[in-house]
Amino acid sequence: MADILAKIASELYEGEDETVVELVQKALDQGMAPAEILQGGLISGMDEVGQDFKSGELFVPEVLIAARAMHAGMNVLRPLLTESESAGAGKYLIGTVKGDLHDIGKNLVKMMLEGAGFETIDLGTDVEPQAFVDAVREHKPKLIGMSALLTTTMVQMRATVEALEEAGLRDSVKIMIGGAPVTEAFAADIGADAYAPDAASAVDTARELVA
Amino acid sequence: MTAQFPIETLRPGIRMLSDDQILAIHNASLDILAQTGIVMKNEAARDLLLAAGSWQSGDRIKIPEYLIMSAIGSAPSRIPLHNRLGELTMPLEEGKVFFGPGSDCIFTMDLETGERRKATAEDIRRIAHLCDGLDQIDFTMSMGNPSDVPAMDIYIHEFINMIRGSVKPTCYTANNRADMEDIYRIACAVAGGEMQLREKPFLILYAESISPLLYPDESVDKLLFCAEKGIPVTYPPSPNTGGGGPITVAGALALGNAECLVGLLLTQLVRPGTPFLYGMNIATLDMKSAIVSYGAPEWPLAMAAWIDLSRYYGLPVWGAAGATDSKVVDAQAGIEATVTVMTAFLSRCNLTHDVGYIEYGTTSSMEMLVVADEIIRGVRYAMGGIEINEQTLAREAIHRATPGGGFLADDHTLDNWKWAQWRPMLIDRMRYDNWLAKGSKDMAARANERARKILMEHEPAPLSETAEKTIQAVLKHRAS
Repeated sequence: MADILAKIASELYEGEDETVVELVQKALDQGMAPAEILQGGLISGMDEVGQDFKSGELFVPEVLIAARAMHAGMNVLRPLLTESESAGAGKYLIGTVKGDLHDIGKNLVKMMLEGAGFETIDLGTDVEPQAFVDAVREHKPKLIGMSALLTTTMVQMRATVEALEEAGLRDSVKIMIGGAPVTEAFAADIGADAYAPDAASAVDTARELVA
Repeated sequence: MTAQFPIETLRPGIRMLSDDQILAIHNASLDILAQTGIVMKNEAARDLLLAAGSWQSGDRIKIPEYLIMSAIGSAPSRIPLHNRLGELTMPLEEGKVFFGPGSDCIFTMDLETGERRKATAEDIRRIAHLCDGLDQIDFTMSMGNPSDVPAMDIYIHEFINMIRGSVKPTCYTANNRADMEDIYRIACAVAGGEMQLREKPFLILYAESISPLLYPDESVDKLLFCAEKGIPVTYPPSPNTGGGGPITVAGALALGNAECLVGLLLTQLVRPGTPFLYGMNIATLDMKSAIVSYGAPEWPLAMAAWIDLSRYYGLPVWGAAGATDSKVVDAQAGIEATVTVMTAFLSRCNLTHDVGYIEYGTTSSMEMLVVADEIIRGVRYAMGGIEINEQTLAREAIHRATPGGGFLADDHTLDNWKWAQWRPMLIDRMRYDNWLAKGSKDMAARANERARKILMEHEPAPLSETAEKTIQAVLKHRAS
C-alpha cells in the first residue's frame, strides 16, 4: 500500500500528470482513503519538490510542472474529500495590495502554497483593504498573504492590517507579506506576523505560522 | 497550411575590413616580401625558397608574389582535428569557433593556496584534466613550462602531461627537431601509426618567427618537420604594435600577414597540401609598463581583421581570446575576456587560444579558465541568433494569457523553458538572503570551487598501454 503512495510522490516529482491521475485512481480502487492519498502521495511529493527547489536543485518551471501534476491528482480526489480534508493545511487568502497590478510573484506563491496542501482563495491584484476584510469574514482563512512590487504600494499593507484591526478580525488570522521592496523590518513595523523573501520560504513560513 | 520552408536564423557576424582594405593590406604584404625581404636563419628553408624562385639580396631573401599565391592555392581550406580517441571534434573550417588555453606560462596560480608560483609537470596535467572536464573548452595547450624537469625536456613533459590529462586535441610547442621527433613518436603510438596520425591528426604545432622579419633556425626546422610528415602546424608571428610591429594596427597587419605567408609558403614547398593554420598575434606593447597587453582593445580589433584576411585566402584561422592583464580574477579579467570571446565568435575564429591567461600571459589560472568557460557558454547563446517559427512566436500562449498575469505557469513556458532559456553554471543569480547564507562567494571563489570539483570528479580516458610504453621509452632514451 505504501508503495503506491511513494510511486505517486515520485511521478508527481517528475511532473507526470497522466500517470499521477492513473495511480490516484488505482489507490482509490484499492480502497485507500482519499485523505491518505492526498497526504502521503500528492503533498509528500510536493514537499520533496519544495525542498529541492529551496536547495537550488530544481528550477521554477520544474516546480510548476510538478504542481500541474498535483492539480491533476487533486481533481480526482476533491469530490471525495470532506470540507476539512480539502482545506488541508488551511485556507490561505492571498492578494496583491491596492494600487498594485503585479500578479506574477503572487501567483507563484499561490501555486507553491497549493502544492503544500493549502486551499487558496485568490483575490487577484489591486485589492482594497476592505476587500481583504470582507473576504476574511466570508472565508475565515487561517492566513492572509499580501504582495506588493512597488515601494509606493507597500504602504497599503499597513492600511490593510489596520482595517483588519478596526474590523476586529486581526487576531483571527496570521498575516504574511512579501515582494521586492518588502523587508523583515517592515513586516515587524506594520504589525504583520511574518515576511518571506521568496515563494519557497513562504511555504515554510506559512506552515510554521499554522503549526 | 502546406509545409512551408523554415525561416532561416540570422547569426550575427562582423567584418572589420572592406574588400578594398583587405586588398591594400595584401598588396602591402606582397611588397614587404618582394622589396624588403626576410632574414632566414635556416639553411634548408633558404635553399627551398631560392630554388623555388626567390632571390637573395644582401642578408635578405626576397619572395615573389606568384610563390605566395601558389602556396595559398595548395594549402587546404580546412584542418580536421580529432581527439586522441580518433573522433572528429574540432574541424577547423569556415564558420566554426573553438576555444582552448595558451602555451608556456612561467607561473601558475595555485588552486589550493592561491600562491603565484613556478609551474610543474603535474600542473600541466591538472590543467589539461580541467580542460577535459570543461564543456566549452575544445582543446588543450600546456599553460606552463614545467620547472621540475630537466630544462631540455620541458616540451616533452608538456606534451605527455597534456595527453595524459585530456583526450581533447592538443596544440603543442617544442624546442627543436629532436623534440619534434620524440613528440611525433609518441603521437604515432597514440594514434596507432603514421598514416592514422595523418588521417586523423589530434595535434597541431605552434611555432613562430620573430617579428619583424626574422626566421630563427630551430623555429623554421620545426615547421619543416611538420610539412615533411604532413601534420598540422600554425606559424603565427607576433608583430605587437609598438614592439615587434609598427605602432599602427594596419602596419602590424601588413607585416604579420607577410610573415605568416612565408611560413605557409615553406610548408607548401616541402609538401603541397600540408595543413597550415593561418593567423598572427597582434597585441600592443603598453607604453607605460612595456608589457605586451592581452586585454587591450587593439587585440580584438586586429583579430577580426586578420580573420577577414584568412577568409580572403580561404585558409583556416588562429586567434586568441579569454585572457587578461589583471593579476587576479576580477572585474578587469571579466571585461577583457568577454570582449575577446565575443569578437572570436563574431568573426568566427576557428582556433582561439590563450583562454585562462592572467597577468598578460605570464601566469596561468585554473579559476580564469573556469570563468572563461562560462563566458564562452553565455556568448555562444547570444551569438546563436533568434529562431523564428510558430513554436517560438508563442501566438497561442499570448492569446490565452491573462493581461498582467504573466506566462510563468503557462504550458508554453513549462514545455519550452529548458531550451529557450540560457542557464548559467557559474554566474550568480541567487536572492540576496540565499547568497549570504551560502557564504557570500564572489565569482573567483565559485570558479575555484568548480575547478576543484571537476578535478575531483571528472575522469579523462587514460592513454593506451602502447602509448605509455612509448612515453617511457622516449624518456629513457632522452635520459641516456
